[in-house]
Amino acid sequence: MKGLARELGFLLRDRGLLLSLVVAAAAAAVAVLLGMMEVEQQRATIAELLEADRVEREVVQAAQEDWGGAAYYTFHLTVDEPTDFTFAALGQRDVSPWKHRIRMLALEGQIYESDAGNPDFALIGRFDFAFVVSLLAPLLLILLLHDVRSSERAAGRHEWLSATSGNDHSPWRTRSGIKVALLTSCLLLPLWIGGLASGSGAADLASASLLTALHLLFWWGVCSLIEGRGWNSSVNLVAACGVWLLLAVITPAAIQAVVDASIPLPDGGDIVLTQREAVNGAWDLPKEATMEPFIDRHPEWADHVEISRPFEWKWYYAFQQVGDQQAEELSLAFRDGRKQRESLAGTLSWLSPPALLERTLQRAAQTDGRSALEYEERVRRYHAELRAWYYPKLFPELPFDQGLLAEVPDFSD
Amino acid sequence: MKTLFTIAGGEIQLWRRTRVAVLAVSAFAIVLVVSCLLTAQRMNHAAEERTRQQTTAEETFLAQPERHPHRMVHYGHYAFRPPPPLSIVDPGVDATTGQSIFLEGHRQNTAMFSDARASADLGGLGSLTPALVYQFLLPLLLIAIGHGVMVREREARTLGPLLAQGVTGRQLYAGKSLALLGVAAVMLVPMLLLSAYGVLQGEHLAASLGLFGIYAAYALVWCSAVALVSTLAETRGVALGVLASLWLASTLVVPPLAVATTGVAVPSEGKALSDLRMQAELRALGDGHNAADPAFAQLRANLLAQYHVEDVADLPINIRGVVAQSSEASLTELMNRYAEERMALELRQSSRAALFGWLSPTIAVSSASRTVAGTDLETHHRFLRETEALRFAFVQGLNQVHAEKLAYSDDINRSRDAESERRTRVSTENWRVLESFRFEPDPAKLRWSRASTDSLPLLVWLGVFIGLGVISSGRVKP
Repeated sequence: MKGLARELGFLLRDRGLLLSLVVAAAAAAVAVLLGMMEVEQQRATIAELLEADRVEREVVQAAQEDWGGAAYYTFHLTVDEPTDFTFAALGQRDVSPWKHRIRMLALEGQIYESDAGNPDFALIGRFDFAFVVSLLAPLLLILLLHDVRSSERAAGRHEWLSATSGNDHSPWRTRSGIKVALLTSCLLLPLWIGGLASGSGAADLASASLLTALHLLFWWGVCSLIEGRGWNSSVNLVAACGVWLLLAVITPAAIQAVVDASIPLPDGGDIVLTQREAVNGAWDLPKEATMEPFIDRHPEWADHVEISRPFEWKWYYAFQQVGDQQAEELSLAFRDGRKQRESLAGTLSWLSPPALLERTLQRAAQTDGRSALEYEERVRRYHAELRAWYYPKLFPELPFDQGLLAEVPDFSD
Repeated sequence: MKTLFTIAGGEIQLWRRTRVAVLAVSAFAIVLVVSCLLTAQRMNHAAEERTRQQTTAEETFLAQPERHPHRMVHYGHYAFRPPPPLSIVDPGVDATTGQSIFLEGHRQNTAMFSDARASADLGGLGSLTPALVYQFLLPLLLIAIGHGVMVREREARTLGPLLAQGVTGRQLYAGKSLALLGVAAVMLVPMLLLSAYGVLQGEHLAASLGLFGIYAAYALVWCSAVALVSTLAETRGVALGVLASLWLASTLVVPPLAVATTGVAVPSEGKALSDLRMQAELRALGDGHNAADPAFAQLRANLLAQYHVEDVADLPINIRGVVAQSSEASLTELMNRYAEERMALELRQSSRAALFGWLSPTIAVSSASRTVAGTDLETHHRFLRETEALRFAFVQGLNQVHAEKLAYSDDINRSRDAESERRTRVSTENWRVLESFRFEPDPAKLRWSRASTDSLPLLVWLGVFIGLGVISSGRVKP
């Protein structure tokens, strides 16, 4: 205990340490603040979208005269709301869309549209808390720890300090431990303040804190191993930075390349082309060619598929659905492939602690690739709900009832 | 001059005997070569694949059977953006924007299927392209081996004897810098090869050399920074600490910070919201599918007067086609206005973020590199504009066929009467309204003029570092 107080006293007079701590706290605070502002903006955009969409839908629906037209002209807004922890890891939200308007036409032709942000931004990435703790924090720690022993050795105090303390390791361990603890606190304090202000769950904050601490402990281990070799400070620093490069930059890039190469995806273009050929080809085919595969999927409408005129809405929606059915195999392979890539990347990310931390934080913030896929699945389910709502009106040819349109399912329900 | 080479040669000899230096250089070289090979293979494959898909899309369109021309408007067409030759150095926004776009009547779609969405995300800095290796790792290598060039002599107390032998501080600085430059030059050889390969693939020589020049300038900036800090520092530790912090700030902190602050300061509203705003304005234009829409009353009256007839059925042309043409034109004008606003906003964001190039040479080199390679945001915007022009041309061509080759009476009865429906199918020669589309990079000159603003900070940084280096090395004392 006395040793601890002594070391703390020394360290608080270390201007280099204080500077690093200020830098760490400032980086975390700026990251948290920018994350919160970004989330705030996304929420405002969503609120504006919901309102504009409501107005638009009311106008469009009021002008409709039949079920088919209503389904054709009405767009439906879907959004992937940020959570109360999204501010900490904005993740894929620059790359994958979190807002999408769909209608009851063939879904495969619409679902891949991407209303994403500035591609330059997606390329560079954002300065968020996940970035600070997974990539920057290890470097700050390396800067703090690379010369704990070697600086004393260079100053000629190493043996003396070792001799005056209880055992060979304790002064260094105490000194490094205090540095790690101080750095961790400086990084986590802004997270907690931001988390409390954003109403994040205590579980998210606690697990993020724990993981951050573990991550820094890992890097402490790396630094100790390097320091133990007895090299001078410069070599220590270069070696530790080399390990950082390997684990934080090269390994993730290699994992990505391996994952992408080992799990090939069907070409996205083929999905939409298949769907387009199916949907457009239907116009030139006998009506039964559409209605039969439709009935396979929806036997409940078997009594209502007699098409006598060149154009009928129920035939039109049947071939939209059949278009999706024909592209289904490719589409499922595309989705499964992305899921497999995600899960393989998740497993392999254990090879790179920074990547593991970043992915875990993004998972907690629901901004990772899996969350983007889940949003896509939600949109698919919602599209199926729309079909389930319209089909019982279209196929039995129920008389059009303007008033019922208010009951079309909403994405948020 | 001979002294300079002697000093430089001595320094390189020393590095060859230092394990850390040899290890760092070899590791860098391996990562660099692997990234060059992988990226070249990936981008070449993408270029071939997308060119093939473009040809197939055109053939498929032309091979469509006889049908109503408006059906072809909705059948639509696909346009693909093949990566330019220099994307093997810097794929730029190729991964984050979609690479294909569906073109159809009445709608402007977004580009689909970006690699970034489909591939696994491991955080970090993303995939290791040659651009990233040069932008991030080359400075680190120069720092790792070069931070001691000057300060080492001071620490080892060999600076005094050297100066006493008649070597001036400036000669020492120049010789040591020359050694660093030698390392940088060797590391730039793969870049030279990639640029040459780009020329073989049809890239302009000026663009290829320009890209090499940009990375050479960037390497010079770091060489001069390393030499300067090493001259000023009292100890190697200080030199290394200062240079590592500069690297950290330039490559790791400022770029994402520039993005995050710009995103907050200049928010983009996205296509969904701008589409909804447009819808409100659009309703005033009328539905082009419905020739009886009151919005087209004026058009109808004009046509009736022009042909001296009482009823639209007596017109020598099909009013539905005329309405479709007119509504597509006004709709497109509106859609283009909103699209231009969105693109202008994105450019405003990007150029605001590029201003951080004055704080970080890495931002400066990366924007300039994307621009010269032809993988920047503006090139993507041109792709969007050109595909829009392509869309408009074939849709209007089909609408003209609709107006001139279809009888109005058949057209209005086609949903009820199978015979009329058959007569509304026009021959497949009419599908030739589709123009062939090949997306090409901008002329080298234009790319250069765009890149000059981005690369200006590099030259200023270079001037400042060299100037300070020359001044301070003239004053070195043991």
